[in-house]
Amino acid sequence: MSVLGQILVLLKADLRAERRAAEVTMIIVPFGAVALLVIPMALGADTVLLSRLAPGLYWVVLLLFGLSVTQRQTATTAPAHGESLRLLGVDPAARFGAAAMANTALLLVFAVIMGSVAVFLYDPQLAHVAWLVLLLPLAAAGLGMIGALTASLAAGLGSRTSLAPLLAVPLSIPVLLAGAQTMEGMRQGTGILRWMLLLGLVDVLVAIVGVLSARPLEDAAA
Amino acid sequence: MIRPLEIAALASIITALVFGFLAPTDVVQGTVQKIMYVHVPSAWLAYLAFMVTLVGSVGYLATKNLAWDRRAGASAELGVLFTGLALVSGSMWGKTTWGVWWTWDARLVLTAAMFFVYLGYLALRRAIDDPVRRAARVAVFGILAVVQIPLVHFSVTWWRGLHQPPTVIRPDGPQMDSPLLFALLLSVVAFTTVYAALLRRRIELAELEDLLAAARLRADVVAGAAVTAPPRLGGTP
Repeated sequence: MSVLGQILVLLKADLRAERRAAEVTMIIVPFGAVALLVIPMALGADTVLLSRLAPGLYWVVLLLFGLSVTQRQTATTAPAHGESLRLLGVDPAARFGAAAMANTALLLVFAVIMGSVAVFLYDPQLAHVAWLVLLLPLAAAGLGMIGALTASLAAGLGSRTSLAPLLAVPLSIPVLLAGAQTMEGMRQGTGILRWMLLLGLVDVLVAIVGVLSARPLEDAAA
Repeated sequence: MIRPLEIAALASIITALVFGFLAPTDVVQGTVQKIMYVHVPSAWLAYLAFMVTLVGSVGYLATKNLAWDRRAGASAELGVLFTGLALVSGSMWGKTTWGVWWTWDARLVLTAAMFFVYLGYLALRRAIDDPVRRAARVAVFGILAVVQIPLVHFSVTWWRGLHQPPTVIRPDGPQMDSPLLFALLLSVVAFTTVYAALLRRRIELAELEDLLAAARLRADVVAGAAVTAPPRLGGTP
């Protein structure tokens, strides 16, 4: 089977497992929504201020709670499943690709739902929203690939649950910056091209590192 | 035993200190400007150290030689040390010139983020005992982490903040008086020599740590192995 075929099979398995477990839709999405609901209780009910802060808060929630999406137990992260895939000769790059694509798809769903919640709760000033069609998939892909990579770096370690977020969050800062600055640029009608380029550049860089490092990481985990 | 490189590091630090104190005082900022002779070299060393980590990481993945991994790890530790020093000295400088210990300036925030990225790198190293199993994972992270360096460096150009833009490495030449620039360059040389000396020592220590870890992994770890028969009295055990 070709690498692309392997990716598709693993991706389907991962999304099927998520559909059965509904971890993202039934647990992480409500958790993120609660965060957006709780923040004004700490900041105060100043609707003008909250409307102004909404895009930034949205990106912080997307980054932090998106981590829960990328660090969830997937169809291929259990040690026994990993061993089986290795014995079956599945390309490690295909495993990374499938994990990154599943993360991206689920993060995109998460981003859209959180965006709707943020608009409902905070009533932010939005302009040029058509750019979101490009921005959100690029950001989801960046966060998804960083999440897949850091999950494989911390796989099998005793401190995995605390270590993976420490590795992923600071690395995701370029995505957070580019996303928030693009939204600010859309609101003010100023240039957003350089931020989109930064986002694209980060995506390409992480994709290259992820694909090239897949085999050494699998060998190290063996 | 003290080595020539360590003597050179000590001598260069003393020389830099002397020239730093003798350099003219800044007209606007006064004596506090002399923090520059610690702050700027620390930031430069942080970049250099993390670039060495990148080279070590690529070197390990290309050759599978653990010596590259030790260089990468040792340099990352020093990079974190110098980044911390740059943050602390910058904070002290900021308090006297801006009136605050910390401000949400892009350079400051991204430098702090870089600090945490490499703390993560060190945490990952500490989480795995086996040097061989550890090396590949940290090498990948060491390559990925380097994306922070251009972000930090260009942050003063991309965002307008309180932190001043580059004054030494500029297309139109340094914007600093010669005596100050000379003292600064001496500090950079001194800090770099100290870095080289510390790096060498740390790599040697890492070699010993790897030998110890390998010995521990080879040791018999079967349950009850620590329990041995008592020696016979008055005879050979």
